[in-house]
Amino acid sequence: MSPEPPDVARRGQWLRGLLDICVLALLASGESYGYELTQALECAGLGQVQGGTLYPVLLRLERAGLIEAAWRAGETGPARKYYRLTAAGRHELGAGGAAWLAFAERVGGILREGGVE
Amino acid sequence: MIRTWTMAEMTLRDLIRRRTVVGLLFLLPLVFYLARRDDHTGQAVKFLLLGLGFTSSAAGLFATSAARSLEPRLRLGGYRTIDLYVGRLIALIAVGLAIAVPYLAVVLADQDVQRMPALALALALTVLVAAPLGMLLGSALARDMEGVLLLLAVTSAQFLTDPAKISGRVMPFWSAREIATYAVDLTDIGYLRRGVTHALVCAAILFVATAAIAAVRLRRRRHVRIVSSSAPV
Amino acid sequence: MTDQEWLVRMALELRRRAVAESRINQTVGEAVAHARDSGQTTERAFGLPEAYAAQVASSLMAHVARARPRIGEVRLAARGIGKRYRRRWVIRDVDLVVRAGQTAAVVGANGTGKSTFLAICAGFLTPDAGQVTLHGAVGFCPQDGGTLDYLRPAEHFALLGAGRGTPRAEARRTGRDLAATLQWNADSDDQARHLSGGTRQKLNLVLAALGDPEILLLDEPYQGFDQGTYLDFWDQVWQWRDRGKAVVVVTHLLENLDRVDTVLDLTPRVSEAEA
Repeated sequence: MSPEPPDVARRGQWLRGLLDICVLALLASGESYGYELTQALECAGLGQVQGGTLYPVLLRLERAGLIEAAWRAGETGPARKYYRLTAAGRHELGAGGAAWLAFAERVGGILREGGVE
Repeated sequence: MIRTWTMAEMTLRDLIRRRTVVGLLFLLPLVFYLARRDDHTGQAVKFLLLGLGFTSSAAGLFATSAARSLEPRLRLGGYRTIDLYVGRLIALIAVGLAIAVPYLAVVLADQDVQRMPALALALALTVLVAAPLGMLLGSALARDMEGVLLLLAVTSAQFLTDPAKISGRVMPFWSAREIATYAVDLTDIGYLRRGVTHALVCAAILFVATAAIAAVRLRRRRHVRIVSSSAPV
Repeated sequence: MTDQEWLVRMALELRRRAVAESRINQTVGEAVAHARDSGQTTERAFGLPEAYAAQVASSLMAHVARARPRIGEVRLAARGIGKRYRRRWVIRDVDLVVRAGQTAAVVGANGTGKSTFLAICAGFLTPDAGQVTLHGAVGFCPQDGGTLDYLRPAEHFALLGAGRGTPRAEARRTGRDLAATLQWNADSDDQARHLSGGTRQKLNLVLAALGDPEILLLDEPYQGFDQGTYLDFWDQVWQWRDRGKAVVVVTHLLENLDRVDTVLDLTPRVSEAEA
């Protein structure tokens, strides 16, 4: 396999730090399951997120009490594990999300100073 | 009892796997014996006994210093100090006797010894004195080398001193020579009695000294207070 | 490999890492559901089964600061500890209190008396001042040494286990399970002298924890550990903490300090050094 182009590798690094908060945001609008979440991330332009990356994040969020999970038969077909936000998760989304946006704004400022449009 | 026996077993396992020490244990007495074999029987036997005493002490020395860093943890793990050194002593005596038996056979086959049981007793008592001697050196001295040097010094002194003089009687293996004389040279029973007494006294003194050093080194220190589980602190 | 093979290998690795059976079933079910939804093979979606299982296992063990274990009674109370060497005080007036469910790190540059302090707490060394109160059994792990060169790991377990009257088979089983958490197969017939430095330290660590003592005193036990084992070691420390033990680790590596409850810095203060 050829080495990943630098922007993909860098994007992968960013995503590793932000995947948990993105998942919380995606669940804010309602419950979802693993594959649906990967589809949503791809639609949002974040590229393909593999199951091997997503599920450990879901597990950590669940252990931290920010999301809760239940096995249910979905509207279409067999049983899946559905995740939804808890109150603590909603709170964390607000705080962590705001912190990230502020941080990103500051980084943007540095980049604009450096002549990046 | 289980602790003592487990300690004895593990000391034995550790010792048996040390090929150099085991080789030494088996061959050194033979070397000593062969050195004087063509001499008068008494000399050959005395040298054999001294060789056996030296190597059994060396085994005791190595066994003691090898376990030094483990012993405090064994104490924490529930062992009493007495379990540790009695267990080791049992293992060392077992090894020493295991070596003595074939040597008894060698001497019987090779030499003409009238008082066989006395010879067997001499071998056994040599081991009985050598084991705690080695343990004492191992526990009193911080480094193996110092212990070996001291052991060499004691053994050489044993060779060089005249058994008839006081200086000779102070030596730990003096008893071996006395009983060997009784066994080979057909002297009176006084030799046997003196030899046995000396051996038992030496063994006792060495054992008590080893026990005392161990008790001090592994003592429950006074600055530590152990509180039972239910008491509030 | 087929999905079936992938799932079997993944489940086996989870079991090897002592993950609960119910959790293993969930993980397998989730992987099956995801493969079905996405139309991908499990290998494509999740990567190597063992690596995915390792990720799952470590996510399970990653404890969030929020989920605090119950802090219990005082297990170790060292007060006013001082030790002199010739005429200089190596440590002076040192206090440390560790409760059940807490961890403490003893830090300081080399020569500041960290190992001395721990040995005093364990009762191996007499201090020139101070008292130590222990509330429970103690397990101690030295920086090196502490094993019998010509004995095998299982024999070490049996020897130490006998101290509390633990039957040999049980001691060996406990030792083996503890060793597995450090990714070490302790069933080998290798004598201690044949083990690498890092592996011998794993043996030391297992011996310290073998009798399930309430207090663990660990003196930089990670000598020779590779990065993975070093992380495993700290994961084990948190697990011991969560099971209600009091764990004290002497260390000069500072990364995990934000996760311990107490940091005892033995670096002498300037005024004392001049005294």
